[in-house]
Amino acid sequence: MAETGRLTRTAPAAPLISPVLLLRAAIILGVLAVWEFLSHSGWLYRDVVPSLLAIGRALADLLGNSNYYFNLGVTAGEIAAALAIGGLSGIVVGIVLGVNRFLAKAFESYLYYLGPTPKIIFFPVMIMWFGVGPGSKVALGALSCFFPVALSVAAGMRGIDKVLIRVGKSFRLTTMQMVWKIYLPAMRHPLINGVRLGLGVALIGTLLAETKLSNKGIGFMIIQAYSVFDMPHMYAQLILLFVVAIGANALVGRLGGLDKVKAK
Amino acid sequence: MLSPSAPKAGGDILVADDIYVRFDTAEGPVTAVDHMSFNVRQGEFLSVIGPSGCGKSTLFNVIGGLLTSHDGTVKVGGETIAGPHKSIGMVFQEESTFPWRNVTDNVAFPLELTGMPKAKRIERARRFIQLVGLAGFENRFPGELSGGMRQRVSLARTLASEPKILLMDEPFAALDEQTRLLLGDKVLQIQQQLKQTTLLITHNITEAVQMSDRILVMTYRPGKLKRIVEIDLPRPRTSEIVGSEAFGRYVAEIWNDLREEASRGMRDEEAHALHEHAS
Amino acid sequence: MSAVAPARPAPRPSPLFAYAPALTGLATVVAFFVLMEVLIRVGVISRFIVPPPSEIIGSFYRVITEEHVFRRFLLTLGECLTAGVMITVFGVAGGVLMHRYKLLQQACETWVAAFAAAPVVLAYPLFMVIFGRSAWTIIMIGFVAALPPVILKTLEGLSGTRKVLVNVGKSFNLSGSQQFWKIMFPAALPTIFVGIRLGLIFALINIVGVEFLINYGGLGQLINDLAERYDLAGTYAAICFVILVSVVFFMALEKVERWLRPVD
Repeated sequence: MAETGRLTRTAPAAPLISPVLLLRAAIILGVLAVWEFLSHSGWLYRDVVPSLLAIGRALADLLGNSNYYFNLGVTAGEIAAALAIGGLSGIVVGIVLGVNRFLAKAFESYLYYLGPTPKIIFFPVMIMWFGVGPGSKVALGALSCFFPVALSVAAGMRGIDKVLIRVGKSFRLTTMQMVWKIYLPAMRHPLINGVRLGLGVALIGTLLAETKLSNKGIGFMIIQAYSVFDMPHMYAQLILLFVVAIGANALVGRLGGLDKVKAK
Repeated sequence: MLSPSAPKAGGDILVADDIYVRFDTAEGPVTAVDHMSFNVRQGEFLSVIGPSGCGKSTLFNVIGGLLTSHDGTVKVGGETIAGPHKSIGMVFQEESTFPWRNVTDNVAFPLELTGMPKAKRIERARRFIQLVGLAGFENRFPGELSGGMRQRVSLARTLASEPKILLMDEPFAALDEQTRLLLGDKVLQIQQQLKQTTLLITHNITEAVQMSDRILVMTYRPGKLKRIVEIDLPRPRTSEIVGSEAFGRYVAEIWNDLREEASRGMRDEEAHALHEHAS
Repeated sequence: MSAVAPARPAPRPSPLFAYAPALTGLATVVAFFVLMEVLIRVGVISRFIVPPPSEIIGSFYRVITEEHVFRRFLLTLGECLTAGVMITVFGVAGGVLMHRYKLLQQACETWVAAFAAAPVVLAYPLFMVIFGRSAWTIIMIGFVAALPPVILKTLEGLSGTRKVLVNVGKSFNLSGSQQFWKIMFPAALPTIFVGIRLGLIFALINIVGVEFLINYGGLGQLINDLAERYDLAGTYAAICFVILVSVVFFMALEKVERWLRPVD
């Protein structure tokens, strides 16, 4: 009840192992223990909860298998292409909408309301347009990541301190110079944030497309493991996928100087 | 019917004895309040005035019971304070109405805590709402009101708990000059009507002289009691009195005391800013 | 911010000027469809890849009546609402717990944020193994994917309570539980609603997506069905329909949130 105001007592000597670390370790160990228990209990259907050892072996197997890296490369390539196409067009559209108030009022609400729709439903159309190969996956990924990038960039553009734009105009910069020397540097944070979101949804879009119809890629491997009921393999795939996804997200965030991975 | 219950008429209702508050900041220990002792008389309007940074808000928190790590004691009606006391009602400087409750529910808040039945609460709250001049706004939400009106709601809420002592920390600081003057008049009117013991923390000399029976002048950090000034002006303090020579003399006298403290404060802040910039 | 005389009303722009952007946007969209119609009829774009817009619009009626669209819509809606109730209960409770126990917050907040960035929906084969090809798979994926924003926003709302309001509570000597229920929780509600809205959006996206992928459920399955039947116009129509539903859903959520917030 007593308010201590701007008090910063000399802190007591920090414990060797922080309580936070202890709690985290306890939670992780607890989860693993319960998992292993369930795995051997026989309560759940056969292999739904495989033993940690089995999962471990599957992980080792994957990581040592060139086939895995081949598929990883395929998927990574698709995501990179999707990000390039969707990201670049998103940046261009975002800049245009950010600069021109009239166009923004005309079109931005379409982007805003179309953005949160599930893009996977466009997949049949993508297949018709781009075939059953990587093309349709890239297309879906690009479509997915276009929206968050465009919206973030448009908002970022509007957030740029107006005086900076006036400075650029006073030096009679061309449009391309304005983009490279003023717009992009000034909205570094919203841009990186938009790319981070775009990466996330491009990843999801591409991978889901792979699970639906493909013969290559990580998504394909996951659905394969499902179809032969190779559960340890499926868990291993998912673990690796989540590690990569969360890692990539954190990496992009760190690049942009945003240290905390915050939910939007 | 609305006046707070009185202990000994005219006696001391609050006794602050040797209050000493020290903070440990990043730059070393800072004494906010340096052995202050004073009394508050039943029914009086007492202002505490001092330059910015002199520790008046710290004093506010000590008396209000929000800050208990200090030396010295504060006694209300003989009882030592060890936390927020039910005899003391606090009005804060910042915007403090509950935005999710309408005016009536805001004002009835302390009554809710005592378990008063709803109908009685609303009726009681209504009286305080009228007292502060917000009749007709019972069902509005704070978001629909101006800053001055919101402060009046906060005041009504505190008054509704019928505290023996009303403790206010620069409640008009965030308002523009005209609103401040009008609200000041209102508070004074209410105080006289209820015979409410009031302790006002302020930096505004004119306000203090106009409203108070006595004024405690504080020094700059470490905050000590520099002087107690008895304001011997008749009530009600009309605009005639405010414009009078006697009034002007009190203001000049207090400003004299404060000027030295205030400039010390300013120099201190400049040195601080330079130091921060350099590091 | 004292009460002042009402400001002179801004000169009203002519109605045409005010609506020009919106009209331009609409006109562009219409023009686009007309262009597509022409190109397809002329043969520049194969009508076996993209049916003419007129045909798509024409099949709307057929799709709605023959495919029991209303029933499917209710099914999807039911899944969303179930997931919505679950995320509200568990998400808000989780946020409250994390706020109450600081150690828990310090240990787990970054984990929850990282989870928000994780592609949960990609684990749908795993959910299928556990829950079968059923509505529960769909609901559970929606639940898991949508939980993090609710927890994080609840935590944000509670932590962000203005200090002065907490002090008001202390000055009235409120007990811990009174302080929570009378001050902190009501103060946090606007932010909590933002979290629930975000969660519902995540839930809908994932639910429709999974319905499509596992070919079960309501609207998502509709698209899949029509695509597998090579009903081109129908597929496009169904996609349009789903977009329409999700746009209306999001607009409704925004309206509800604005209505529920007390005047800020």
